[in-house]
Parts: sequence; C-alpha cells; structure tokens
Amino acid sequence: MQEIIALAAKDLRLLVRDRAGFFFVFFFPLVYCMFFGAIFSGSGGGGMVSAMKIAVVDEDGTDGSREFIRTLEEAEELAVTLTDRATARNAVRRGKLVAFVILPAGFGESVANPFGGGMPRLETGIDPSRRAEAGMLQGLLTQYTYLTIKETLTDRTKMKTLIADSLVGIGNNEELDPVMRTTLQLFLPALDSFITNLPEGDGGLGGSFGQVAIDQADVAHEETGENPTSSYDISFPQGMIWGLIGCAAGFGISLVTERTKGTLVRLRTAPIGRGRILAGKALACFSTTVTLQIMLLLIGWLAFRVSPNSLALAGLAIISASLCFVGIMMFLSVLGKTEQAAGGIGWAVLLILAMLGGGMVPLIVMPGWMQSLSHVSPVKWAIVAMEGAIWRNYSFFEMLFPCGILLGVGVVCFVIGVRAFSWAQEG
Amino acid sequence: MLCAVYNGKPAMLCLNQLRKTFGTLVAVDDLSLEIGRGEVFGLLGPNGAGKTTTVNLAVGLLAPDHGTVTLDGGGSPTDPKVRAKIGVAPQALALYDELSGEENVAFFAKLQGLTGRMLAERVRWSLNFVDLWDRRGDRMSTYSGGMKRRLNLAVAVVHDPPFLLLDEPTVGVDPQSRNAIFDNILVLKEQGRTVIYTTHYMEEAQRLCDRVGIIDQGKLLALDTVDELIAAHGGKSVLTVERTDGEVSVETDDPLAELDKLRQQGELLRFRVDRPDLERVFLNLTGRHLRD
Repeated sequence: MQEIIALAAKDLRLLVRDRAGFFFVFFFPLVYCMFFGAIFSGSGGGGMVSAMKIAVVDEDGTDGSREFIRTLEEAEELAVTLTDRATARNAVRRGKLVAFVILPAGFGESVANPFGGGMPRLETGIDPSRRAEAGMLQGLLTQYTYLTIKETLTDRTKMKTLIADSLVGIGNNEELDPVMRTTLQLFLPALDSFITNLPEGDGGLGGSFGQVAIDQADVAHEETGENPTSSYDISFPQGMIWGLIGCAAGFGISLVTERTKGTLVRLRTAPIGRGRILAGKALACFSTTVTLQIMLLLIGWLAFRVSPNSLALAGLAIISASLCFVGIMMFLSVLGKTEQAAGGIGWAVLLILAMLGGGMVPLIVMPGWMQSLSHVSPVKWAIVAMEGAIWRNYSFFEMLFPCGILLGVGVVCFVIGVRAFSWAQEG
Repeated sequence: MLCAVYNGKPAMLCLNQLRKTFGTLVAVDDLSLEIGRGEVFGLLGPNGAGKTTTVNLAVGLLAPDHGTVTLDGGGSPTDPKVRAKIGVAPQALALYDELSGEENVAFFAKLQGLTGRMLAERVRWSLNFVDLWDRRGDRMSTYSGGMKRRLNLAVAVVHDPPFLLLDEPTVGVDPQSRNAIFDNILVLKEQGRTVIYTTHYMEEAQRLCDRVGIIDQGKLLALDTVDELIAAHGGKSVLTVERTDGEVSVETDDPLAELDKLRQQGELLRFRVDRPDLERVFLNLTGRHLRD
C-alpha cells in the first residue's frame, strides 16, 4: 500500500505544481459554478428576475392612464421610462430598450368604463431581436390592465357610479345593437340591485369580483426539498462535473506522459506489479476528484446556500461519480500514443459526453431525441445523482439507479483501459 | 544451460539463448552470456544493434520469445524480490521535471520499499554520491544535462542494489560530469557491485569494463576482455615514418623492430605508432557503413 500511496502523492504533487492543470481541475469548475449560477439567478426559486426595460408614452394624459403607468412602475418585472413616441421608438430601434408601450387617447376612459363598449387599447413595439420577451410583455400588460379595471369593479361606490353612467351612455348610444341595449338595460339595474343588497363589509367587492384564483403550487425547497432554491443548486452539480472531466483528462494524459517520458519504464523496474502502478494513478485521480467535489460543495454551501438534502447521499454521489471518472481516465489513457493525441481524443470524447449529458446545456432545453440520447452519457447520471442529493430529495433507493450506472460505467471503462494499457506496453 | 558459477565466482546474470522479435524485426537473436558478480560488463553496439532490448530482457521489462534470463543464482527478473536487486538508469532521463532532486530520489526509493530512517539515509547517501546534495531542493527542470544524468544514477543506486544496469549513462553530458560518472562507477565497482554498461563511447568501455561484449543485429559478435578483443580483432599496429623522400606506413606486430629496420634504410625525420584499440575492434566487427 505504501507504494500506491507514494505513486498517488507524487501525482498530486505534480498536479499542484502544474499551474495550468491545477487551474482547470480546481478553479475552472468553481468559475463555472459561479458564472452560470449568476447568469441564471432568475430561473431558480430564490433569484431575482432582471427587469425588462421598456419606454411608456402617455398620449392620453388622464387620471386613468397615469394610474396605469403607476401600476407599471411598481411592477418588479418592468423598468419603466416615460418618454415621447419618437424617443421611445428610437431607443427600441437602437436596442437600448426591449419595447415601448403607447397609451393612446381614450385609454383612461376605456379602463374606467369597461361597460362603455370599448376595450382598452395599447400600442406596443418590440425589439425584433427580443421576440422571446414579446409574449411576456403582452401577458404583463394584460395583467396590469385587468388589475386597473379590477380597482373599479371591486369598489362598491365606484361600481354603482359606473353602472349609473353606463345606463345613461347606453341610452344615448344610438349605434348600439338593440338586443345588446335591451340586455344591458336589464342586466345593469339587476347588478346594481345585487350590489346594493350585499351585506355591508369593508366596502369592497373583492370576494365577489376577484379574478379566477389559479393557485400555483409553490413546491418550495423549505417544504418538500424538491425544487432548487437558487440557480446555484443547478450550476454547482454541473461545475462539479467539469471538475471530474478535468481530472479524467489530466490524469489520463499524465499516464501517457509517463510512457513517453520513460518514467513508466522506471516504475516498471521497481519491485511492484503493473496493477499497483495503475492503482496509484487511480488513487491520485480519485482523491483529487473527491477533494474537488467536497471543496465545491463547501464553497457552494458557505457562499451560495447550496445545501444538500442529505450529506450521506451527497457522499454516495461524489464517490460514485469519482469512481466512474477514474474508470474513464483509465480508458482515455489508451486512446492515444502521445500526450497530444490522448489529450485531443480524450477532450473530444469528454466534450461529447458533456454535451449529451447536460454538462453544457441543461437537458430540459434539449429536443426529445437528444434527451433520450443523453442516457448514454455518464455526465447525465452524475448530474442526476448530484442533484438527487442536493435538491431533488432522492431517497437512498432512488439514488441507487444513477449511482449504479456510474459505478458500472467506471468499472467497464477501467477494465477496458487496463487491458488496452497492458497491450500497449507489450506492443 | 546452468550458469550459477562464472569464472570461479557465482554468476549475477545469465542470458541463455535469448531471442526477441518485434514483428519481422529480430532484435535479439540467440544471445547467450554470463556476467559474474562484481564485474563491470560493457555492452557495445551500433544504433539499433539490440543493446536496449537486451537490457530490457535482462531486467524483465520484456519477455523473451525464446530463452531464459536468470539473475542472482536462478531468480527471474519478473519476480519482485529479484527485481529489488536491480538498479536501472535508463537511457531516457526517466525522472519528473517538476519534482526536486530529493523528491525524485525519495519517490523511487519508496517504490523500492524504503521507509523511515533508512529512506532518509539512502536518499542522502545517493545524492551525496553523485554530488547533488547541495542542489537537492531544486526542481529537476532547473538542472543541467550533466546533473540530470547524475540524478538518474542516484535513483538507480538509492536502494543499494547489487546489480546495476546503466544504459548509456553519459549521453549528452559535459566532460566534468562524465568524469564524475566514471568515478561513481569505479566506486560502485570497488564496492563489489555488478554493472552492465551500454555505451557508444569506446574509450569509456576501455577505461571501465572488465569485459566487453559487442553486439550487432541482435547477435553477440565478440565477448572478452578489452585486451583479448584487441588482440583477436584489432589487427596490427601501424608504424608511420616521415623521411626526406616522403611518408611510409607499415602494419606490424613489432613496431620497434620495424622502426629499427626502417632507420637502417635511411634518415628518419619523425615516426608515429597507432596501436589497435577497441574502436578499431568495433569497426572491424560491425563494419564502417552508417547506421541511421
């Protein structure tokens, strides 16, 4: 065992002294975790959505339009700039703002009198390169327009005034369809009577006229632990995968370097078997990957509140993923006879595995066929295992599936690598 | 063939009818030799002659297609216990650039099973032996070519092996380091260690080796002491005299008698005797054509 530890210690010492290698193994994954965690900090439950910058042009100038603008200004999702039509259009054309919203003359009246026969109308213009936000803006405008109308509909006094004004307007509107006029002239007095007979409360009609309550089930982390608390819960497992990839590539190439520099010959003249030589390399790779993942998890926990649901399961995920990538390291070491060849082929293989497995782009945004294809990538199962321990609240038995796959892949790759490596030496 | 005893002493290494091929290339062909304990044996040959393959067979890095290798009275070099008796300084500098000299030596010593005080003592001894103790903390990447070669030797001797295999240990070093390595080998010889020394440099073999084997195309062409090889394959001495009427060269077994004869024929201005040496033996046996 002393020889294996000496071999591993030597490799770790060499890794620490190789600044580029050390960066890719230890700092790149951390940078990845922080960078992508920050970028997608709005996608998780605990992050903030960056406000959509829009210009608003008030061409109505009524109390109703000013009230609506106030509502938009208070909305977290929007950053509102009041300006004129030409300036707004120019700002959107130059890409400084996502969109402009123009409140035309009559907007305030149509919001204040929804029974007046005219729907509130808004004019919008969207940056052509930001089409994705167009739907979101439309939804927000609809929501806040409805909220403004709701103010009127849920106030008893305002509602009665609105009904009285509407009946006068209906009577004077000669263009109104007679059937519609008759219907409204029957409906609105009945509504007025209904409101008058409602029991006295706080003066509001919110309970009766509230919007359809669609309660979104908030499966909060604190309650069930099945949702990420922040985007860092997503980015840290992915970053840990990049650490594993860096280790597998680095140690795989170092094994080739041992051969090309002749140190492998010297190692083989020592009174230790080939198995111990490879075991030393495997131990170095394993201890590095475990250390790296623990380090990332600690940083994630201390600085970004990435807290595993179960430390034991996190340990299981870390060990399984590490063993898998030790096997992959061994496999990579036989893909090329020179460092350049092994490095090139090895990184190509690892990048494909990362792409397929969701190491670069989250699986959820991939097309269906690619999600099916991702099953072949150990990167996917490593992420699943890590997420299972961190926020998916997997049980021990649920963890066995991804961890079992990782161990299986690791063993198969290691055996293939050892057999091919022995052959390469004989050749 | 048993070779437990060589020349009245127990044999350290016995190669018996070794054959090794790589595809169609016959690297070693029916090679047999015995090396006694305490002997410094020179293995000479042109590029591609099969020296390194022979060395690799001797230390168990390669398995022969045919024949046997026995070491220290019958053990196989593939046996870890037997292999622990071998110290190897490969032709390629098989060391880690980013480790210090001391770290390199200590690492390989640990692989030989050394621990604790013994480890520290042997590391110190071997670094002192090659005169690198003062630079022990420096990374090998900062060493000169000669220092790297000396460190290569230190790693080979750190576990105090009775049998050393030095594969071209002076390639690319300056005369000072080369002389230092010669001195090291002579000390090792005085300590009674067996050394196989492969080299291209004939004067090194002539200076250091008790016996020399010349190998080419995988076959052992000649094997004997340097003097015997010269006597058998070196040819005659060449006497060159300069007279008033020109220069004359004569091959002779007795340069003095020949010189006396030429002096009686007329006045001699100058004369020179070129005695046969190992290089001439080598060229006579392996030919003068280039081996690229």
